[in-house]
Amino acid sequence: MESVVITITSGKGGVGKTTCAANIGSALGMLGKRVVLIDGDIGLRNLDIVMGLENRIVYDAVDFIEGRCRLKQALIRDKRAPELYLMPTAQTRDKSAINADQMVRLCDEMRGDFDYIIIDSPAGIEQGFHTCLAPANRCLVVTNPEVSSVRDADRVIGLIEAAEKGPAQLVINRIVAARVKRQEMLSTDDITEVLSTEIIGVVPEDENILIASNRGHPIVMNGKSPAALAFQDIARRITGEDIPLQPLRASGSILQRLFGRA
Amino acid sequence: MNILKQLLSGSNTAHTAKQRLRFVLIHDRAEIPPGLLELIKDDVIAAISARVPIDRDGVVVQFEQQNSESRVLVDVPLLALNGERKGAKRRP
Ligand SMILES: Nc1ncnc2c1ncn2[C@@H]1O[C@H](COP(=O)(O)OP(=O)(O)O)[C@@H](O)[C@H]1O
Ligand SMILES: [Mg+2]
Repeated sequence: MESVVITITSGKGGVGKTTCAANIGSALGMLGKRVVLIDGDIGLRNLDIVMGLENRIVYDAVDFIEGRCRLKQALIRDKRAPELYLMPTAQTRDKSAINADQMVRLCDEMRGDFDYIIIDSPAGIEQGFHTCLAPANRCLVVTNPEVSSVRDADRVIGLIEAAEKGPAQLVINRIVAARVKRQEMLSTDDITEVLSTEIIGVVPEDENILIASNRGHPIVMNGKSPAALAFQDIARRITGEDIPLQPLRASGSILQRLFGRA
Repeated sequence: MNILKQLLSGSNTAHTAKQRLRFVLIHDRAEIPPGLLELIKDDVIAAISARVPIDRDGVVVQFEQQNSESRVLVDVPLLALNGERKGAKRRP
């Protein structure tokens, strides 16, 4: 099978791109797929620490592109799944260290060896975004149920279409069922309607995500918390399984639910 | 308490968010800033009121986009010479 390159992007920073890349990639790996995660956020790398692989970095993507190491040396094997790899990026360089052509070539080197190549993009719509978009076969746009990130998502969806990389698919992250119910948070339907873009998954706000990052264990790897289940569903939808969007599972205790403090 | 407050005030901020997003996205997508419509409105008021009496406060200039067509909709209520609104036309 030819690799599918999936770019995860958002426009706005801090909405959960890196969390989604780590978890969707891990979930695909745990389904037995051959996966490589590329950190596209040059100078602000984070995928390594969220994955818990930061201590194993010797070489990075920029080293490979500039000829200082072989491809294999820049790939970190994650033994928690049969074939899951991380390609970290340089921490002390800037977004211009890899251009679009180089990113395309980097992915081409790995096409054929992996089922999925997942690229975690930087925030913004400048060069770093275009670099990560260039090799994409498929784009996931992460948004939060909140006006500024939805607006930025719209802009990014437009840019993805203009680059003929569409149609983008949406991941709505950090939704709180109780707040949607109280009509103080945009719902999944509101966002689909406003953006007219297909949704590939809805991830609830989940306090276990912080704990997972603290430990360097993506949440899909252990447990059945609401966010873990949501990421597993997204991974299976990516592989082509037809899994209907689940109704929101309210998280927290019954008391919290009653009083709407998830 | 929150719930009670909201039931009482009937506030639905998700709805407000959605309406505001709709508005701002129409302008973002068309690359027509909302302020430009205000300028167009001033021009329209100046041009038409030079010819016929109009209800300046009732003028509505809206941007609309459907499929690939964009248009500016202008609604200018006319005043009869006695200063009353003409006819029974209601604005949308
Ligand atoms: N579903 C979620 N529930 C709770 N916290 C989340 C969720 N998704 C992301 N976060 C937190 O939000 C912060 C930003 O996430 P991150 O993935 O780094 O965003 P980005 O890569 O888009 O900048 C992190 O602290 C992360 O733990
Ligand atoms: Mg990030």
